[in-house]
Formats: sequence, structure tokens, C-alpha cells
Amino acid sequence: MRAPGSDKGVAAGDVLLAVDNVSLNFGGVKAITDVSFDIRKGEIRAIIGPNGAGKTSMLNVINGFYHPQQGRITYRGETRQKMRPYVAASQGISRTFQNVALFKGMSTLDNIMAGRTLKMRGSFFWQLFRHGPAMREEIEHRKVVEEIIDFLEIQAIRKTPVGKLPYGLQKRVELGRALAMEPDLLLLDEPMAGMNLEEKEDMSRFIIDVNNQYGTTIALIEHDIGVVMDLSDRIVVLEYGRKIADGTPDQVKSDQTVIDAYLGVPH
Amino acid sequence: MFYREAGQYKTSYAADMAVFPIRQDRIGLAVILFTAFVLIPAFGNQFFLSSVMIPTLVFALAAIGLNILTGYTGLISLGTAAFMGVGAYACYKLTTWFPGVNIIVWIIASGFVSAFVGAMFGLPSLRIKGFYLVVATLAAQFFLQWCFGRIPWLVNYNTSGAIEAPERFLFGIPITGANATPESRYLVVLGVVALMTWFASNLVHGRVGRAWMAVRDMDIAAELMGIRLLTTKLLAFAVSSFYCGVSGALMVFLWYGSAEPEVFVINQSFLILFMVIIGGLGSLVGSFMGAALIYMLPIVLRLLPAALGVPIAAATVEHLQFIIVGVLIIVFLIAEPHGLARLWQTGKQKLRIWPFPY
Repeated sequence: MRAPGSDKGVAAGDVLLAVDNVSLNFGGVKAITDVSFDIRKGEIRAIIGPNGAGKTSMLNVINGFYHPQQGRITYRGETRQKMRPYVAASQGISRTFQNVALFKGMSTLDNIMAGRTLKMRGSFFWQLFRHGPAMREEIEHRKVVEEIIDFLEIQAIRKTPVGKLPYGLQKRVELGRALAMEPDLLLLDEPMAGMNLEEKEDMSRFIIDVNNQYGTTIALIEHDIGVVMDLSDRIVVLEYGRKIADGTPDQVKSDQTVIDAYLGVPH
Repeated sequence: MFYREAGQYKTSYAADMAVFPIRQDRIGLAVILFTAFVLIPAFGNQFFLSSVMIPTLVFALAAIGLNILTGYTGLISLGTAAFMGVGAYACYKLTTWFPGVNIIVWIIASGFVSAFVGAMFGLPSLRIKGFYLVVATLAAQFFLQWCFGRIPWLVNYNTSGAIEAPERFLFGIPITGANATPESRYLVVLGVVALMTWFASNLVHGRVGRAWMAVRDMDIAAELMGIRLLTTKLLAFAVSSFYCGVSGALMVFLWYGSAEPEVFVINQSFLILFMVIIGGLGSLVGSFMGAALIYMLPIVLRLLPAALGVPIAAATVEHLQFIIVGVLIIVFLIAEPHGLARLWQTGKQKLRIWPFPY
């Protein structure tokens, strides 16, 4: 796998993605109110907050599944009112889901291969024959997928339908599928939810390795505060759709509003 | 003991990605093809060829078409018979306009006409799913069926309202019309079905098939991965209708010889949907198994009493046939809700370790 984003003109440390004054409502329900933050190239950025704080909605805004009523999204220097899923995907934003959203009827291999769809250019004509250019392309992408399989240590379940896998492995396959897109920005929605300690350690290792080896920028939502503090470079804290803190783990840890939000305020 | 891949090492990705990676499967396929192309036409009698094999193959092709849409892409359709009708009527119009062009060309071309019509009726599928899409495809079924009956232009202003397959030749041998022998018709149908099955298998094992299945299994994730939902669904509708259209053209030209609008009614759509469900959603071999079961079983049941010398009235036999087929369908679905194809898979899995328990 090439180092994604290395040739895209955004240097490490520059702002890769910025959301400015984004507000999102569903009818009368305000999911996000006037939130601004940025994600810098090469960092691990965490979004935390209590349940219903608007974290997942924020990710959905970033990859274009929700369209905010107000605000702007700047990605790779290009400012938009809203993202569109196809544009986000083709410009290198990939994503995992809170509740695993794998293609259940397909094998691990096919799931990760499906992540390569955007990179495949072969014509429909040759697909009919599964020979010549179509087969060459298929093999070329299979090699990349095998690298991901090796990286995530899931060789043994290559041909297993993912519906039959245990939850921890499904999460890992889903990470593999997101990696297959060679993303510049990887959005992880609770990658460690429902995992035991050992699985969490494995997943943390993979996240750090992806960040180090491929230089992929990562934005993650996670409830395990210990993991978040250890992994992330900067943290943004949301509560009831508003941003209440933004900074390094140490800054956030000692922020009084954050402590109040998580522990409650004495009356 | 006999069906085991032990010792068959794959040394390239191409070998690993083959549709039949196990040698015994490839031998089995070769045996089936040899039987179908050589033994059956050589030894089959007229009844077996024209009333058993040709219909089963025609239905199998339609079932593959519906399976691409319903089994692989997860879009349920009740317009199958109508799309078959589009193929049949298009082929009739085309071959009566240009009698000089080979009929095979027009059968393929009528598939494209059907694909276009299918894609048109597939447009609502971006917005609606499940039962609502069933209703939309039902509209296609009724509207197209109405067209077949009410637009005289489609039947060349024939007063009987029916289309009749004119005599057409392939390599100088009549393959449609009254003079075509069952052997030649069977071989043409078999050739078309075999080739199109191969194409379908290639499609579903590659990028296109993965996109279809991704949309079926989790459309949101597919969309966020850059798979365009509208394009993917419309392609599924187009390819599916192509298969149904060719199947309809084969049905009228190489099996029935003539057809009225009543051939393409909703009952036929249901019949093909049953074939797909009983055969196995998302399985090509299942389409053949479903078509064979639904079409051949009644014939076998009808012939069985006479063959065994049991004296029963013909009417009773027919009633018994309905009862038995109905019961068998229920039994099969309880035993394996995923269809005959899954039973076949499980059987092969068991055979791999037989006779040892592990």
C-alpha cells in the first residue's frame, strides 16, 4: 500500500479538514449547534462526549450522509456547504460504523475487495469475460487486499462469510474495508465498542500502526476515556450538540466544563 | 473421500480466484456440459427435448435474470414476465422488419430492448425499497401486459392478437417455425443459456457483482464507500431485464412457436420468483435447480402413475400433483430456507470430510 495522501499537496501538520459553525437539525431536534473544529494532517483526533452529544452526526456530516443547515466544510483547501457521499469517498474519506455495517453475505475477502471499488476502472465489457484486463485488475487489487489482510492478521478468516465471524473480528474486517480505500482521512465510529481488553489492545495497536506506517489522518469517536487519552493527539468534546472543549488530552482532562459534563455539577 | 481438495495447491491469485477452484468441481462441470451438449440431444426423445429440457432452460435463464436483481442486488421484482414479454415482442418486431438478419442477432438485440425498458422501470428503486418496490414493478407488469394486448402495432396488426414465430435459419438449419427439429432448437437454447450463464457468473464474481451485493447487504455503507446507488441498481435492473428479455424471446421463438399476451401474466412472474426462492437467492446454480424442480417435478408426478401401472384417473393425478408439489415446496423451505443451492453447498461440505467425522 502506498502512503495515502503523501502526494496530495497537504503537508503534515496542515489543516486537512475544517468544519466551521456547523449546525444540523432534524425537524425541531438540534443535533449539532454551531460547532467548529479542525483536523490536521497526520494526527489522531478524537471526538468524545456523552451519549447523544452529536458525535456520530458529526461524522455523518463530514462524509456527506447528512447535510447541515448551516456552516461550511473545508476539505483539502476546498470549502463546501455540504459534502456528498460519493465526493467524500472519491476524495479519500473512509469510515467505519458504530454498529458494524459489513456486507454480511460476502466473505472477508470480498468485503475488503469491495472497498477497492473506487480504484477499479475496468470496463463492463471485460467484466463479462473475467479475462484479460478485468482479471489483471482483479489480481492487482487482490495483492493490495492481501497486504491489508496480513496487516490486520486476519489470514485465517479470508474466505469466511463475515456474518459468521465474532464481533471483534467483524470490527477488524470493517477497519480493513475502510483501509482498502487508501484513505487520507479515516473516520472511526467507536472502533472498540463491546470489545474485551485484549481486543481493545489489538485495535489500538492497529490504529497507531495505520497512523504511523501510512500517515493516515484519523478521527475517532470512542467512549473508553483511557484509550482516547492514550491514542489521540487532540480531542474535541461535544455535549448536547455543542463544543465544550478542544485541545490536547492533558488540557481536556483538566477542563472544568468537561469534568462537569462527565461527572455532573453539584447543586 | 472422492470430493476433497487436499493436495491441490494454488500458486497464483488467478487460481485462487477461479470460479471452480476445486478440481472435482471442474470435472463435474465438464461431465454436465458433455451430457447436456452431446448425450441429451443424441439419446433424448422429442418429448424430453421439447417439453422438458427446453422449457427448463428457458425458465432457468429467466430465473438467473430475476436472481441478479433479487438475489444479488436485493431488489424484489414482480415484473419478470412482463420483461420476458418485452423481449418476445421486440424479437418479433425486429425479425419481421428485417427478415434477412440472423435470428440470434435479434434475440440478443431484444434483450437490449428489454434492458432499456427494465432500467426505466428501475428508476423508482433509488427512492423505494421492499414492498413498495414490489408495487412499482407490479405497475410494470400490468402496464406492459396491457401494451401487449392493446397495441396492434406490436403484433403487426394480426387480427388474432398473437405473435407467431416465422421460420428462421441458423447455418442453413431451421431453428424456429414449424420445421425446426427439437434437437436443433434444444441446442440453440442450450448454447444461449450456457453462454449467458458464463457471463452472469463472471459478472457476479467481479467488481460489478460485489457492488450489487454491497448494495443488497448494507446500502449505506456501500454509498459511503463510493458505490453509486442509482447506477448500481439501474445496472442490476438492466442486466436482469436483459436476461429476462432473451429468455422471453427464446420462449416464444424456440419453445411455444407462438404467443398471446396471456403468456406473460403475473402468474408467470410468481412462478419465476418461486424458482428463485426455492433454488436459492444469490446463486446461479440455484436458479437451475429451482427451475428444474418447479417445472420438472409436476411432469414427473404426472407420468409416474402411468409408468408404475397405477390405475388413477387423469384428473386425480392432476389434483395430486398440485398437492404434492405444494407440500414439497413447504418441506424444502422448512428444511433449508436458503434454498436448494444451500442444501447443495452443505452436502458438498459434508462430502469433503466424509467418511471421517473431522
